[in-house]
Amino acid sequence: MKKFVFLLFSFVYLHTNAQETFPVNGPYNSQMQFDAFVNATIQVDEQTKVSNATLIIKNGKIEKVGINLIPPAGANIHDMKGRYIYPAFVELCSGSVTTPKNQHTNKADLPFLSSKLGAYYWNEAIKPEVHAVNYFTSDEKHSAYLRACGFGSVLAHVDDGIYRGTAVLATTGNAANEHELIIKEKAASVLSFKKGNSSQDYPSSMMGTVALLRQTYYDARWYGNQTTEKNLSLQAFNEQQALPQIFIANHKLNVFRADKIADEFNINYIIKGAGDEYQRISEIKATKAPLIVPVNFPKPYEVSDPYDADFISLGDLKHWEMAPSNLSALYAAQIECAITADGCKDAATFLKNLRKAYKNGATSQQLLRSLTTIPARLIKMDQQLGAIKPGMMANLIITNGDLFNEETQILSVWTKGVKHTVENLSETKLAGTYQIQMGNNETLQLKAKTKDGKQVYQIISGNDTMQAQVQLAQLVSITYPVSKSNSFTQQLTAYVLKLDSSNYPYTIQSLQGEVVLQNGSRVACNIKLVAPYVDEKVLPVEKKNQGTGKVLYPFTEYGYEDLKVAETVLFKNATVWTNEKEGIMSEADVAIKEGKIIAVGKNITLPGAKIIDATGKHLTTGIIDEHSHIAITQGVNEGTQAITSEVRIGDAVNSEDINIYRQLAGGVVAAQLLHGSANPIGGQSALIKLRWGLPPEQMKIEGADGFIKFALGENVKQSNWGDRATIRYPQTRMGVEQMMMDGFTRARQYELELKRNPNIRKDLELEALLEILQSKRFISCHSYVQSEINMLMHLADSFGFRVNTFTHILEGYKIADKMKKHGVYASTFADWWAYKYEVIDAIPFNAAILNKVGVLTAVNSDDAEMGRRLNQEAAKIVKYGGLSEEEAWKMVSLNPAKMLHLDTRMGSVKVGKDADIVLWNNHPLSIYAQPEYTYVDGRCLYSKEQDVLLRASIQKERMRIIAAMQAAKASGEKAEQHVSETDPNYHCED
Amino acid sequence: MKNKLLISLLVLVTTRLFAQQIPVIIQDGMFHLGNGRVMENGFLVMLEGKIAFIGKELPAFYKNAKVIDAKGKHIYPGFICMNTYVGLNEIDAVRATRDYQEVGLFNPNARALIAYNTDSKIIPTVRYNGITHVQAVPQGGVISGSSSVMKTTGWNWEDAAVLADEGIHLNWPEHYIQTGWWAEPGEVQKNKTREQVDAIADFFRESKRYASVRNPEKANLRYEAMKGVFNGNKNVYVHINSAKGILSAIQFFKYYPEIKWVLVGASDAWKVADLIKENNIPVVLSQLHRLPNANAEDIDMPFKLPYLLMQKGIQVAIGHSGSWESRNVMFNAGTAAANGLGKEQALMCITSIPAQIMGLKDVGTLEQGKQASVIISEGDALDMRTNKMAWMFINGEEVDNKNQQVELYEKYMNKYGLKP
Repeated sequence: MKKFVFLLFSFVYLHTNAQETFPVNGPYNSQMQFDAFVNATIQVDEQTKVSNATLIIKNGKIEKVGINLIPPAGANIHDMKGRYIYPAFVELCSGSVTTPKNQHTNKADLPFLSSKLGAYYWNEAIKPEVHAVNYFTSDEKHSAYLRACGFGSVLAHVDDGIYRGTAVLATTGNAANEHELIIKEKAASVLSFKKGNSSQDYPSSMMGTVALLRQTYYDARWYGNQTTEKNLSLQAFNEQQALPQIFIANHKLNVFRADKIADEFNINYIIKGAGDEYQRISEIKATKAPLIVPVNFPKPYEVSDPYDADFISLGDLKHWEMAPSNLSALYAAQIECAITADGCKDAATFLKNLRKAYKNGATSQQLLRSLTTIPARLIKMDQQLGAIKPGMMANLIITNGDLFNEETQILSVWTKGVKHTVENLSETKLAGTYQIQMGNNETLQLKAKTKDGKQVYQIISGNDTMQAQVQLAQLVSITYPVSKSNSFTQQLTAYVLKLDSSNYPYTIQSLQGEVVLQNGSRVACNIKLVAPYVDEKVLPVEKKNQGTGKVLYPFTEYGYEDLKVAETVLFKNATVWTNEKEGIMSEADVAIKEGKIIAVGKNITLPGAKIIDATGKHLTTGIIDEHSHIAITQGVNEGTQAITSEVRIGDAVNSEDINIYRQLAGGVVAAQLLHGSANPIGGQSALIKLRWGLPPEQMKIEGADGFIKFALGENVKQSNWGDRATIRYPQTRMGVEQMMMDGFTRARQYELELKRNPNIRKDLELEALLEILQSKRFISCHSYVQSEINMLMHLADSFGFRVNTFTHILEGYKIADKMKKHGVYASTFADWWAYKYEVIDAIPFNAAILNKVGVLTAVNSDDAEMGRRLNQEAAKIVKYGGLSEEEAWKMVSLNPAKMLHLDTRMGSVKVGKDADIVLWNNHPLSIYAQPEYTYVDGRCLYSKEQDVLLRASIQKERMRIIAAMQAAKASGEKAEQHVSETDPNYHCED
Repeated sequence: MKNKLLISLLVLVTTRLFAQQIPVIIQDGMFHLGNGRVMENGFLVMLEGKIAFIGKELPAFYKNAKVIDAKGKHIYPGFICMNTYVGLNEIDAVRATRDYQEVGLFNPNARALIAYNTDSKIIPTVRYNGITHVQAVPQGGVISGSSSVMKTTGWNWEDAAVLADEGIHLNWPEHYIQTGWWAEPGEVQKNKTREQVDAIADFFRESKRYASVRNPEKANLRYEAMKGVFNGNKNVYVHINSAKGILSAIQFFKYYPEIKWVLVGASDAWKVADLIKENNIPVVLSQLHRLPNANAEDIDMPFKLPYLLMQKGIQVAIGHSGSWESRNVMFNAGTAAANGLGKEQALMCITSIPAQIMGLKDVGTLEQGKQASVIISEGDALDMRTNKMAWMFINGEEVDNKNQQVELYEKYMNKYGLKP
């Protein structure tokens, strides 16, 4: 009993600790921090749990932990019976530090210049000079949230920019000033793909962001080896490279993007993901990067209106179901990951979701590791944080049970040995049925139980059951009506006699007190527990299987459950459009194996092959789209500068764009993904095969030559961007020539300087231009009118290289002879015109004329929809200009293959070439033709029969999950409105 | 003169100044009648701008007749492209050439035919593939204006107009717009929809009140232009794509049983096809060569949509938004043909059904007594592989099917010493 009273007092005890150097108003109130926790269940680290243990902490540090320790004299002794002590969690990602209002002034109204004053980097989004510690102030609201989640320390950074500078490590304590909170001033650097508040236009796209970051690394290397320039940003950058580097990626494909930068510069990023890693787990593992993973699982979506539900993608529906098993998938793949509360709007959500992860297959040991030792080790603080071991910081969580039990509450979090109450629970509780024996021989019953997290009390008097009010303070007071017919409330006040301390809060066993009766008299009473409380809920945590759905590759509609493998197939009796000297062969066979065409001819046999009867059908090589903007994420243009040859579409490939599948269904197997046409020299292309199901890097065609987008005319001079877009150079075709001339002139000088000194600053923009001059990179130039086409050929001649392709080239027919002489290729639309002034003379006969003059000509799409009907666009060249059907067909197959320098492996049905095969149900140039099979590298990535199955499974899966969401909503979960993001459909004009 | 002008504007133009005098006989070939039927190897006689005869046996001797041997060729009624702004603009990006959108929200009185530029360089390229008639439609706002059916030939708009001011175009508010801007759907968006529907309801109520008075005290051109809507002389074309929008439009027009209305766009129509059928609403699909509305949709949903709707018994026309792009409307029909509909049904979607929907009584089929708008293609005209006009007649007059693009083609082939 004595112990009990003492315990109550200990809660009132306040820790205050003033700073050593600070003056004090009045007498100093120095306190000794010295605490001993006895009878506790202590989770020393994720592996070791000790029952009945003692923990001694002093002056913010852990002194001793173990069993049979005698609490030292002078320590506050806390009886922890029924309670658990965990090392406090370590948060790496949800801390944010606000900088004072930015003090930039605009030097010029040119949005491509930095507005930041001082000797800093040219681009405002690169700010390694920002040290969060300089701006760090105690944010009690956020700290309280983190403590309620169980975090004792947090890494906080300034949440702005691409290279964000250093993060400060602090406790989540509630201190009067910041001095006590800071653990380490510069504990890590933080990077992201978000430009933030920078007033500069550049970068506006994902690929621009990657390019800027790469250039920064190169600039920093150079900076370290020179003495002429002082740049505070680059200096700070170099100084912090030894720190852990945390990259906020926030999307599974961004994890790969960050990892690619890491590989280039030999850095080990700690990458913060989005919790969607299970969707590409093997590639995530292959990055070998440690991850920081959120547990912000989606709420069920509002799906009661079926028309609204149509706006939710299958991927989002499935993610709702599968997100809680993300951690268990990561653990199964042995991927090292820390857990962040980032994205959880309150602590209850965080804890609920942790427990969901536990139910979905993660073990408590794994989860604890991800919350303590892993994050501590990732920021090299594992000697101080993440476990309860002597010498470590006294950051603790105290709970009333196993953390992964849904009933368990975090009672307090201790930081540097200072207690912060989280749940102010009463020490004691009434639970079960009590008999109240009164001095006047009256007997009542008190029933106490928990309902929906609240205590409910009932008094039973005779046949009446009534609500009672109970106050649990130092004394227990109970008020209740006398009977149903008599509303007079009697009051009973009692003290506790006996407690059961096996669970916390302790259950009261017996009490003794007095009742004030209606007539004013008082009688003594004895209260005894007669039947203990039985929880109606099932206490043991029920582990369930991972979601019943399966991961799709890619994780979207029409994704496959398994990755497709190269098949061995023999197509029999097809009309084969070879694109070779054999021409169109009738009743011919084609055999493919291991991704290659192994035989073309008559009466071929291939034991073990799958035989496809192609009688009456047409077999062609797959369509190649010379000009495509599908499968690109977060911007097709980095149009913020006139020359952006440093950016690469390859950094922004989106392997999950539904248009990949749709185009497979149109017989397309490969495409050049081009930068847009917003500037004279755009970015580098990505040449991909439509390998539906594989991640971005594996879509790229191995060993393909490098290409780059150039553009001329109205788009680059911003003619149709509105009257305000009149500032950026160039505004005329004259200026376009000069921009290009200047770029190549600078590239030549760069080449000379490189020869003199290979250690000059690596300039990614000039490197790409130099590659063009050295015929290692090839131009595909957006172009319309003859004057500008002529110009670029002259320019190329004067620099000694050949323009590879004019794309669009709608006035090519006017200058076909000159094009032939230069040796440039033409890739055009079949019949587009009249959408802007410079296409006023565009004619659908263009391709035919160019071809007849002898210019290698292709027909392209520049459009996700037209891309799936390119065979029909080729057919228009027969209609307009009377080209032979075979020649027309080559315009979407062999000719683009040649333009893209892929014709040694693609573009015709020839032994040894890639098994990119389309089997059509009709003449391939006919509007009635539809692919029955599309093979890419021997993998059947589209077929009519598969498609039918996929459609059915999409609907079935949608309906299954929608039903589950309805059920979740019915069971009390809050549903939220949701509209899925759609894949953007880019065109050149964007 | 003034009277004559008014008549030609408001009613069907039936008389022509220079009607065709010499009979033209098309013989042999495959006659696609536009009503779902074909006739192989027969005769079609055009006289005085009309189809004087069509059938297997030539009944009479036509003096001085011009005979066209169409053996191996395909003969169709001229194609009609609904929902275009052909003639109303020249170069999309050049503001000075755009004449399809007026200022303000309710512009039923803005009349497309006034802006229809018969000298547009685009019109001959549209005609080139077999289009003889277009529905020229104003754009934008809530009520964009009044559309007219125009021939793809004509000296001036008056001459080209076949059916003046045949309908008004109402842009029904969408419940959801799938853009990043509206990434978070919520109250604001829904309220907006309701406000817009309320505004439409107000306008219709006021228009009807105005129409009910013989001589309104205060004249109002907007309401004046709506009169025809309430007496059945003008269609209301309701442009809407989403299923929910279609449902809310159906509900709205329940209050106006006297109005003849037509769904335009209607890319979600398959979701609510039974209700569209039940309410007997014709549908003008605006573009088949487009992407599905959602990732989960069947990838060929736009292609097979005409089939899905016609299977239910819904009247479907295939139109094409834009101006120059509409020259591909017959290939949209070809796509429908390849995706369940079959060629003759698909042909109806760009010939007889548009004529029926717009109330063009004497075009759209190859039948005796109809206007002689007849096209003859070297091959299947719904397939770009074989679409090639050999002869075209509009109101019996042979059309010189040249255009700027052909001229440039010939000019530059000559430059290179090649034979066009």
